[in-house]
Amino acid sequence: MAYRKPGTIGESLARSGVSRRDFLEFCARLMVAAPAGLAIASHFGPEAVAKELAKARRPSVIWLHFQDCTGCTETLLRTSKPDIGTLLFDLISLDYHETVMAASGKQAEAALRDAMTENAGKYVCVVEGSIPTKDHGVYMKLAGRPALEVLQDVAGRAAAVIAIGSCASWGGVPSSGPNPTGAVGVDALLKDKAIVNIPGCPPNPYTFLGVVLQYATNGTLPALDAEKRPLFAFDRYIHDHCPRRAHFDAGRFTREFGDAGHRQGWCLYQMGCKGPITHAGCSTRHFNEIPDVWPIGIGAPCVGCTERTVAFKVPIFEKSEVPTPMPSALYPEIRPETGSVSPVATGIAGTVVGAVLGAAYVAAKRFSKVAGDEAVPGVPLPPSAPAAGKDKGSGSGGKGV
Amino acid sequence: MVLLSRRALLRRVGGGVGTAVAGGAVALAGAAGAEAAEVRQAPADAVGMLYDATKCIGCKACVAECSKVNGLAPDTAPSNGLWQMPVDLDVHTKNVIKLYADPATGETSYVKRQCMHCVDPSCVSACPFNALHKGDLGIVEWDGTRCIGCRYCEVACPFEIPKFEWNQFNPKIVKCELCRHVLDRDGQPGCTRVCPTGAVIFGRRDGLLAEAKQRVAARPGVYHEDRVYGEREAGGTQVLYLSRVPFEKLGLPALSDRALPAGTRHGGGFLGKFVALPIVLYVVFLRFFRRNWRVHEEEVARLKAERGLEEQL
Amino acid sequence: MATSAARSVPLPAPRRVAQEGVINRWQRGVPVHEVRVVTPWFLFLVGLFVVGTVLGLARLLGGALGPFTAMTDAYAWGVWKTFNVMALTALGSGALAVGLASWVLGRHHLHTVMRTALVTSFLFYATGLLGLLTDVGRPWNFWNILLPWRWNTESALWEVSFAMPVYCALFLLYENGPMVVERLWSSKNDRIRGWVRMWHPRIRKTYPFVVAGAYVAPILHQSSLGALMVLAGHKVHPLWQTDMLPILYLVQALVCGFGAVIVVVMSSCLVWRRPLDVKVLGELADLMSFTTIAWLVLRLGDVIVRGRLGDAFAMDRWGVLFLLETTAVAIPAVVMRFARMRATPRAVFGMAMLACVAGIAYRFIPTTLAYAPGEGSTYFPAVPEVLITMGLVAIVVGVFSIAVKRFAVLPAPLESWYHSVEHDRRLSAASRSDAHGHADHD
Repeated sequence: MAYRKPGTIGESLARSGVSRRDFLEFCARLMVAAPAGLAIASHFGPEAVAKELAKARRPSVIWLHFQDCTGCTETLLRTSKPDIGTLLFDLISLDYHETVMAASGKQAEAALRDAMTENAGKYVCVVEGSIPTKDHGVYMKLAGRPALEVLQDVAGRAAAVIAIGSCASWGGVPSSGPNPTGAVGVDALLKDKAIVNIPGCPPNPYTFLGVVLQYATNGTLPALDAEKRPLFAFDRYIHDHCPRRAHFDAGRFTREFGDAGHRQGWCLYQMGCKGPITHAGCSTRHFNEIPDVWPIGIGAPCVGCTERTVAFKVPIFEKSEVPTPMPSALYPEIRPETGSVSPVATGIAGTVVGAVLGAAYVAAKRFSKVAGDEAVPGVPLPPSAPAAGKDKGSGSGGKGV
Repeated sequence: MVLLSRRALLRRVGGGVGTAVAGGAVALAGAAGAEAAEVRQAPADAVGMLYDATKCIGCKACVAECSKVNGLAPDTAPSNGLWQMPVDLDVHTKNVIKLYADPATGETSYVKRQCMHCVDPSCVSACPFNALHKGDLGIVEWDGTRCIGCRYCEVACPFEIPKFEWNQFNPKIVKCELCRHVLDRDGQPGCTRVCPTGAVIFGRRDGLLAEAKQRVAARPGVYHEDRVYGEREAGGTQVLYLSRVPFEKLGLPALSDRALPAGTRHGGGFLGKFVALPIVLYVVFLRFFRRNWRVHEEEVARLKAERGLEEQL
Repeated sequence: MATSAARSVPLPAPRRVAQEGVINRWQRGVPVHEVRVVTPWFLFLVGLFVVGTVLGLARLLGGALGPFTAMTDAYAWGVWKTFNVMALTALGSGALAVGLASWVLGRHHLHTVMRTALVTSFLFYATGLLGLLTDVGRPWNFWNILLPWRWNTESALWEVSFAMPVYCALFLLYENGPMVVERLWSSKNDRIRGWVRMWHPRIRKTYPFVVAGAYVAPILHQSSLGALMVLAGHKVHPLWQTDMLPILYLVQALVCGFGAVIVVVMSSCLVWRRPLDVKVLGELADLMSFTTIAWLVLRLGDVIVRGRLGDAFAMDRWGVLFLLETTAVAIPAVVMRFARMRATPRAVFGMAMLACVAGIAYRFIPTTLAYAPGEGSTYFPAVPEVLITMGLVAIVVGVFSIAVKRFAVLPAPLESWYHSVEHDRRLSAASRSDAHGHADHD
């Protein structure tokens, strides 16, 4: 593959002749793929996303393959509309990729060295496949060097590392028991690098593209969870967003492949679906841009391919334990709230009570303070009237106020 | 000449009779007081329900069936007309399933709420004209020909069960009556008939209590405090509860064993309160009154002579 | 007779300090002649009454309770039952309190305020019953009161709904009879005068027997008003909930009875310019103070014996409310023990007012503020409820001012009585135009 000088994405699109319509469609799918949590996708419409992306410089990407099946690459290339295979090279500058690059052998090695030197500290290193660690990592070698060494070398000088696929994230298929090669994921080896794990077997391409493009446009990585997975794609269980959830709640289960329930699309929980314990976004973002093309959608129970504790460990037909059997929110609480307070009534009542107390206070003041004073209360002393009787109390205290 | 004028004789005899009556009344009151403070027991054929919260799956079939059997329109208001979704007992809902959930610990339990059909109901004691009364089989029933709509039953009920039709011109008190209008036909209320897990069952109270105690004994430590709610609360209720979580969390109040009406009943009962006490008071007041009246009348006569004006009473 | 009989306004009495041994100022009731019935204030009261009546009738005839009130199943009793009946009838226990003091305990000086107490009591009870009528949801079933086999004599509310109307319609009307009869003495109609001549002696003869019963009845139903909240059990806060509620409500009724009579009499003297009588007021204040102390002993004793004193100092809103209420009751009790304070009009009025307010607060609190059906439930009366309550109170004030001007209710010195007699003689002898000229001066 010829080494291209990266310009902005917009320039690249103009040069390659990808139609604006196709690019907008891509932007729209990116927005669907990341409804929340991805900065570049949080716009009102694909046009705005497109505008922002067009200004970004095409990031330099170095893609490493280790113990992989190339499925993650395939997921990127097997999108149908727009033909992302073409679009891809306008969005990123794929400077090294063993499967799609034209070069091989010594030219490939040279390409890798050149890309690393030219973009040192700026390129994104994508790792596909797990890394064997047993026996000094002899089980996977690239140009004679063990994968361990390549990883430290290439990823060590990268700005960010993206581990795409379950194998790179936590070991994947090669790591399933008895793990004869000691296969581990990238984050087990690179301790102090910014790593984004995108597990899945394969993962959704838009997740990957979202992360890379965000990095390209504003140099940041999206928010990650405890397993370094982007939250915008991995923050929920499949079960919580599954289109077949209503069947689960109503107790309609497929009992056998091909039975009446299966034909009607009933819940696959009894068939061992791992949806309740698997974090992924497959239930909302399907594959190949064709609706309902994802495992549960076509009637196959989820195997939990993103989770290190589930995939290739828990038998496919073993029922998963629903972690939070919280009943639906449609049940009433023990103590519902009742009653309301009318502000008008409060006002009236308050005014009346205040008026009564005020009147009482005023009235009290009109009575005499003098002990034994029997005069008409509140009436001022007439100047001519004599002060009668033996006045024991205080002298005529003026008015009876 | 008569030795005693008729008036004087009447006075003395009246006074004597009055004192005797007062004395007798006090004695009666004493006896009545002792008798009226008795603890009421459930009738021998009392029926009830046993609800085991550990078996309830919250399917709400009992809620739907109750509405059907009792001819009540389902309460769809909280869901904007979509589902029957009562938030509490109300005039459309005689039976409701509520959920207790603690997000911190994840502890959850369902609870079925309806009239408890107490052995010594506060509402029955409160109702001025016995509109709410304990009928056959110990079921607490409401009679519309006697109710004046005072809502004292709502104030008195410790479980806050009776609901009043505030927005009807002819308002009724609505509460579970164990489907007594179909008990002959179906043999049990609607809710117990449709419960899929047997979480709520119907039967005679003594039998249900025995069953409940058996369950507690069979699984020690599972049921809260290893006891049955309603065995003694408020003097005992005919609807009994078993639960894993504390009863207060399910909205079942902590009540003493004493039925509240027992507190208002003691104090002499009818004879004491309305016969003995008034008679005693009346006789006492009258004695003092008449003495002061005599003084007053003398004063009135004197002032009238002095001033020439009729004195005021 | 003073020539000032020609004036329709009695002279303001010269300021005079009461001395030992001087006969009471207040000798008897005298109507207020100088003031017209229809004043701007009276029209305001009529306006309140009209608003309240229209709403009340609308609620009874046209609608259900829901649209007119804010009551819910959690707070099933609104402001009518709790305020107009339970609280205001405490103010209406003046007849009981003053009557017991004057007739049974022999405090003869209190006879002069007896009529004021009777009119006040009758009005508070009557409006309380009207409030009760507006409040019941199925009033057409009230005919059950006539069928004894349907009575639930265990129910405190039955006792109230049976005894209160009987008390009001029978006893209070009877006790208020003499002042009406007295007015009819000077009627022009011969038949009426004949009727009065026939019935007046009969009333006098039966008076002790009937009126002794008039003290038994309110004792029963004031204590039943207290018993009402006993059945609410744990829903009333433990600082207020006790089996002794009936006795506490009864004693508090006596306190409020004395207090209300003091406040009403003194306010009337202020408004209609009558001289005071410190001896009578002092006696009333003394009785009020004794009764209040008795109440405080019972109340605090009950709280301590039940072990709830700690709740009072818990510094939550109920503890604070309890402390406020108890302090508000204790202040008049203590202050009115001093003879000099009892002789000071301002102190007496202020303390009586405080005792009344604290008293109705005590009777009102267990039904609303200390009534806690559970978290999340609130209640405050709706606008129609407040307006109807105000209408009922307007009836009390309005009819009282009419009664005071038409009948010999308010106590006054003997000179005023002489003026009044002259006034009446002139009225009955004079022609219509004359009467018009003299009658309405301010």
